[in-house]
Amino acid sequence: MMGRKAALALLDKALSYSKAQETDIYLNALDLGLSRFAGGAIHQNVAHGNVVLNVRSVVGNRLGRATTNDLSDSGVRKAVDAAHQNALLMPEDDGFLGLPQPSTATKVNSWDEATAFCSPQTRAKIVNEVCLQGKEHDLNVSGACRTGVQEVAVVSSHGTRAFHAGTFAGLIINTMSDNSAGWAKGGGWRLADMDTEALGREAVSKAVEGRNPLAIEPGAYPVVLDTYAVDDILEALSLYGMGAQSVQEGRSWMNDVIGHQVMSTDITIWDDGSDIQGWPVPFDAEGMPRQRVEVITAGVVNTPVHNSYTAGKDGTISTGHQAYFTGAPIASNLFMQEGASSLEELIGSTERGIYITRFFYTRLAHSKGCVMTGMTRDGTFMIENGQITHPVKDLRFTQSYVDALAGVELVGSDSKLVLNEVGFATRVPALKLQSFNFTGVTV
Amino acid sequence: MDDFLTRALDLATVQGASYSDVRLVETKQERFIVRSGAVDTLSNDESLGIGVRVLVNGSWGFASTNILSPTEVDRITDLAVQIAKASAQSSNGPVSLGPPVTSKGVYTTPIQIDPFTISLEDKLGLLLEADRQMDSVKGISARTGNLIFIKEHKTFANSEGAHVEQTIYEAGGGLMATARGNGEVQRRSYPQSMRQQGCAGWEFVESMDLVGNAERIATEAVELLSAKHCPSGITTLIVGASQLGLQIHESCGHAIELDRVLGSEAAYAGTSFLTTDKLNNFKYGSEQINITADSVRLPGLGSYGWDDEGVPAQSTPVVENGHFTGYLTSRETASGLGLTPNGSMRAASWNRIPLIRMTNVSLEPGNWELEDLIADTDDGILMEMNRSWSIDDRRFNFQFGTEIGYEIKNGKLGQILRNCTYTGITPEFWNSCDAVCNDKLWTMWGIPNCGKGQPGQIGHTGHGAAPARFRNVRVGVMK
Repeated sequence: MMGRKAALALLDKALSYSKAQETDIYLNALDLGLSRFAGGAIHQNVAHGNVVLNVRSVVGNRLGRATTNDLSDSGVRKAVDAAHQNALLMPEDDGFLGLPQPSTATKVNSWDEATAFCSPQTRAKIVNEVCLQGKEHDLNVSGACRTGVQEVAVVSSHGTRAFHAGTFAGLIINTMSDNSAGWAKGGGWRLADMDTEALGREAVSKAVEGRNPLAIEPGAYPVVLDTYAVDDILEALSLYGMGAQSVQEGRSWMNDVIGHQVMSTDITIWDDGSDIQGWPVPFDAEGMPRQRVEVITAGVVNTPVHNSYTAGKDGTISTGHQAYFTGAPIASNLFMQEGASSLEELIGSTERGIYITRFFYTRLAHSKGCVMTGMTRDGTFMIENGQITHPVKDLRFTQSYVDALAGVELVGSDSKLVLNEVGFATRVPALKLQSFNFTGVTV
Repeated sequence: MDDFLTRALDLATVQGASYSDVRLVETKQERFIVRSGAVDTLSNDESLGIGVRVLVNGSWGFASTNILSPTEVDRITDLAVQIAKASAQSSNGPVSLGPPVTSKGVYTTPIQIDPFTISLEDKLGLLLEADRQMDSVKGISARTGNLIFIKEHKTFANSEGAHVEQTIYEAGGGLMATARGNGEVQRRSYPQSMRQQGCAGWEFVESMDLVGNAERIATEAVELLSAKHCPSGITTLIVGASQLGLQIHESCGHAIELDRVLGSEAAYAGTSFLTTDKLNNFKYGSEQINITADSVRLPGLGSYGWDDEGVPAQSTPVVENGHFTGYLTSRETASGLGLTPNGSMRAASWNRIPLIRMTNVSLEPGNWELEDLIADTDDGILMEMNRSWSIDDRRFNFQFGTEIGYEIKNGKLGQILRNCTYTGITPEFWNSCDAVCNDKLWTMWGIPNCGKGQPGQIGHTGHGAAPARFRNVRVGVMK
């Protein structure tokens, strides 16, 4: 861990080396501890730290980049010089309007000392307890427990100075019998908030109740989606269309439907990098405050999220969504508005349908409508007359996620924070959907 | 730098490690992205660090740092030992690595032209010219081109006496044209989706002729907007070479990773249907199917001198005349089954542990000319160039989408088809193969974005393939 003082001092020094007209430097530091377990025991156990400096240099309307993790004077100077040289080589880009002017982000406290300094022994204790829960039911337990610290900082020749340090903790549990599986995933920025015993119970119950699944015919069924499956929908909608670059290039599901109602009025989705209920990082890789952007309001498509480049093209301002040093703007702190129904009510109101724990290996099949294909996994069950009657073999779906959200019947009252890779999280409720198109079944 | 390696190994032994290894890795990378006439990215990226892996009390620990100093090397070695001791609190018994590995030597990817000697202006110029060619076609809404060049210098040593030094070069590039109109979006890529990449020098990019293919793919993308939809049903399918490369990757390459088979990846990427009882006892495909996993066939992205456990590069038959015969293994997994490790352990960076990764997993060429194969097909579809891919956690049920398809009627290629998809169950699919084309169209495809492990690692894999024909395949899944 570097801390605010050391991080900004390093960036200030790097900035002083620059001879470019404009320069900004983004520091991304990660200290991670991760214990992986399989077969009821830890089989991989790692720690790593890395500090990466990402330099952007501007000459006129030309921008060059370089990155390094060599923090010596010579290493930093080399990266700063390389970014400058790259800028000089670039052709003019009329779409580039310069680095963004400074803007102050709301300070967010997502730091927890116990999480930051969690020992491998503490993680091993969590793993042992979870594995014991599975062993009591003859289940093979696998997963990963991670804790760590992410530090980000930005300085620029325009005067931007931003620093944030946050902690994170996550636990993934997969339970397996000979013919069933269960799943649970929890996490947040404070280890103490993670109810590991409850997560273990959740994963165990799915595998126990899922034994001896029956194959059902593919086709269109009403579905109740647990939060993990809803997380997949939001992640896909983000990756394949909530960023302005994909809209500007005509390959977003948002194209042609901005301002239109394409989802149920019960669906409101927003991105907010400063909300403590998510996995907050209050500014982006350009140092811009991550604004709250309501992407969908009561089913109506509003706007994509921007970085400074896409904002310049659209004549607007950045919403602070340059999540990484390179690449397109992305909504990575997503929320879906909760409803009023419990999970039991979602299932209880279903005459005949399928309850799905989560989706697996989902990929874009067609950008229009965000048509996705993927599999169900780790707990798929038949619902008949408001009751779960039996587990079913995993199914393949090919379904427009936009169309799926047009047919929302009920929205869960409880939301869950689902942490994915570092820097990407959603907080989502369970959903009951009118129809979901299953196109195959696995062996 | 060797002092750091010796220091870590010695300290690990003093602190009770029964085995330790250390990797010092320096990576230099150039990335270029051009988007619709503007240079999106021109970046030089450098990364340097060291990782120490230890076995203490029979359990693993690993720690790494980007700060190269004696103090920091001592700190991470001590941390790795502490982590291993914590692992031992949750153990199923001591890890066995089998016979010691004592490899020594130096390896450098054989290249003709060092890509880092080519000027940045020339590289950018190539992409900008290809972009202009795509822009000459009316109806294109977005154009992208990318180049990447990597030089990785890696030194590995272990407490058993191994010490190997490798310099691995990679070069890659690709184009994509997106067309939009009539309520439809279509794309075409070249040489394959995202980019083609290999362990090679600048000559690899030159041989692609990106500029010469740019206008063609843009034209095809526009034509696809009004093309006939892929029909739904069961038909004969000829899978083009690049699409078949990904089919091999997903339905064979991952399925033969022995760590997956043994459950190490169960919570993340999943397991495999190729359980250990099936080794030498399972008909994976038809007699036409011969699949080899090797780390020696250039320019495959899985080519090197030794893996990240110091095991020499080698070739392993995986499927012989349809019969399943081999896994990709590590020292630990091979030892558990009484096998000899085949050098498949690779780490994505100095701050990651090695995992079993695909090397160059390739379908060996058959005897058919593509023209003869089409002429021999009364009714079917030829699909090429991946657009989407998905497979279940045991690698059984897959579904792929391709950028383009062609009708085959009475032995002749007909009109183009859009939104092509096909789906199946892995062993049923490979057993339905009745023809593989010869080496004229056999290409070593590079996949530079294979995800595995937690924390995540991006692996680079190679897959040689020529077009092949499959009977009774379900197509047109997406309505």
